[in-house]
Amino acid sequence: MSAAEPNGSGYVVRIAQLNELSQKMTYALLVLVACTVVGFPLFWMVISSFKSVGEFYITPPGFLPAEWTLQNYRALFAQTSFGTYFVNSLIVALGATFLSLIVGGLGAYSLSRFRYRSIAIFAKITLLSYMLPEVLIVIPLYVYIVKLGMADTLASLVVSNMAFTLPLTLWYMRAYFNAIPVTLEESAMVDGCTRLQALRRVVLPLALPGLISTGVFAFNHAWNEFLFALVFTSSERNKVLTLGLATWIGQDNIYSWGMLLAAAVMVTLPVLVFYLLVQRQLVVGLAGGSTKGE
Amino acid sequence: MADSDGTSSQREDRVLAYSALLPSVLILLLLVALPAATVVNFSVREVQLGESDNAFVGLDNFAWALRAEQFWSALVNTLIWVFGSVGLEMVIGLGVALLLNRSFVGRGVARAIVFAPYLIPTVVAVLVWRYMFHDVVGILNFFLMKIGVIDAPLNWLNSPRMAMLSVIVVGVWKFFPFVVLAILGVLQSIPQEQYEAAKIDGANGWQMFWRITLPYVMPIFLLTALLRTIWTFHKFDIIYLLTGGGPVGATTTLPVLVYQKAFADFEMGRASALAIITAAILAVLLGVYFFLNKRAEARQ
Repeated sequence: MSAAEPNGSGYVVRIAQLNELSQKMTYALLVLVACTVVGFPLFWMVISSFKSVGEFYITPPGFLPAEWTLQNYRALFAQTSFGTYFVNSLIVALGATFLSLIVGGLGAYSLSRFRYRSIAIFAKITLLSYMLPEVLIVIPLYVYIVKLGMADTLASLVVSNMAFTLPLTLWYMRAYFNAIPVTLEESAMVDGCTRLQALRRVVLPLALPGLISTGVFAFNHAWNEFLFALVFTSSERNKVLTLGLATWIGQDNIYSWGMLLAAAVMVTLPVLVFYLLVQRQLVVGLAGGSTKGE
Repeated sequence: MADSDGTSSQREDRVLAYSALLPSVLILLLLVALPAATVVNFSVREVQLGESDNAFVGLDNFAWALRAEQFWSALVNTLIWVFGSVGLEMVIGLGVALLLNRSFVGRGVARAIVFAPYLIPTVVAVLVWRYMFHDVVGILNFFLMKIGVIDAPLNWLNSPRMAMLSVIVVGVWKFFPFVVLAILGVLQSIPQEQYEAAKIDGANGWQMFWRITLPYVMPIFLLTALLRTIWTFHKFDIIYLLTGGGPVGATTTLPVLVYQKAFADFEMGRASALAIITAAILAVLLGVYFFLNKRAEARQ
């Protein structure tokens, strides 16, 4: 693109600018299409939850609600056990997360700081536990839970969820502890602390962001968990959200779509809130350690 | 561990090390190791719940599985489900990651939208898609008919031919953001100077992708594909909730079959044998992957 010809160079530069503009517009279009296709279902879910019951059966279906209404949400809490399900899910998810963070946090500290061979072997074995399918361990767990008389209890869910949240915590927290230099504890110990004191005063505050991120992942897993809830619990007062919602889906002649969608929105809210709180650490944590998905 | 003190502190260390790890070891023994061993035990017995005496039947359960039409059909369904979903997830995930790599106005919002499906509970995803797939009130049929692609409503979830396709669609929508996240992490660590130098040398976009981007991304791409394969292979809830394994077993994958055998038919011995076969098949797939990986590395 030499500037030798007086008229020609202006022409060439303008072509180049047009080219760049059309590239940018194609790019923007692609992004827009991707976001629309991916985001539409959730958008549709939220919008539809505000439609009144009658609107669901008219064809063609309206895009926006003719009349925005909260009746679905009100019906959800007034006429169903949704509130109970919500509390149960909270209990199970918080319980499993809390226990996993304590047990797993301690264990991860050991995995990180003490490189004995037996401990390294254990670390590799925990990785194997990710390879086992849920449907495999649910069978014997069910038999044991029934034998122990723990069938249809929330406790059975808190404990069994740890089969996945504990290895998750061990793996993530080990990576976070590895990122905290040992020299900090060592200098604290030179100053007279025992190892435990050094852990509590020096390491723990630094590990707090890691604990929070890991806690969110563990909570998310337990909140969304379905198979154990399906197999271990049955009574209305012990159902968690995933099971409750799943039962309703199969009975969509009884429960109106509006109410189902309102329930869906309510179940999603805590997850989105957590995500917004932790999103910055998500990418950082991913770069640092390994990942476990759903 | 380097320590300025003598042996007594080392002993304290050992005590702390093992006692800090002990609860984890015990719990995982209880929740993972013991059940795994029990499944192996169950698989060679005829297991009746409530009876204390489970008759030993040797390899009968495995023999049944290998002769059962249910098993082979579930195996085929599983392979279609896994390779269909993971294949699409990897391709779409790579594409969207490339799109999100450049900074532009509203990129934060775009990212949030793209990651949303992965974060929501599976049950919610299923609910929304069942609503959209619905033959009467579903928006998809309405939309496709409106733009003239089809003339009659499609039976997304209840026709044997469409059911697996619909399940794959929902699976890809739900899980492709994980691929985006993994690949985006790598993309953002590629030094910009490489692209600038290539531009000066006259490379076009396509060449830059093949020669610079792809080699950087390949290791994480393959690892992500591996992880997605393992997790998709074992997936139970999304299929069970969407179709229950139907219609007529069209979407019954191995995990769904294991569940049905154990908790609908109450044949826990056979279900256990199936579960072990499922784990074994995955182990074989992984073995092939690692073998090919080692060959590729040896060549380099």
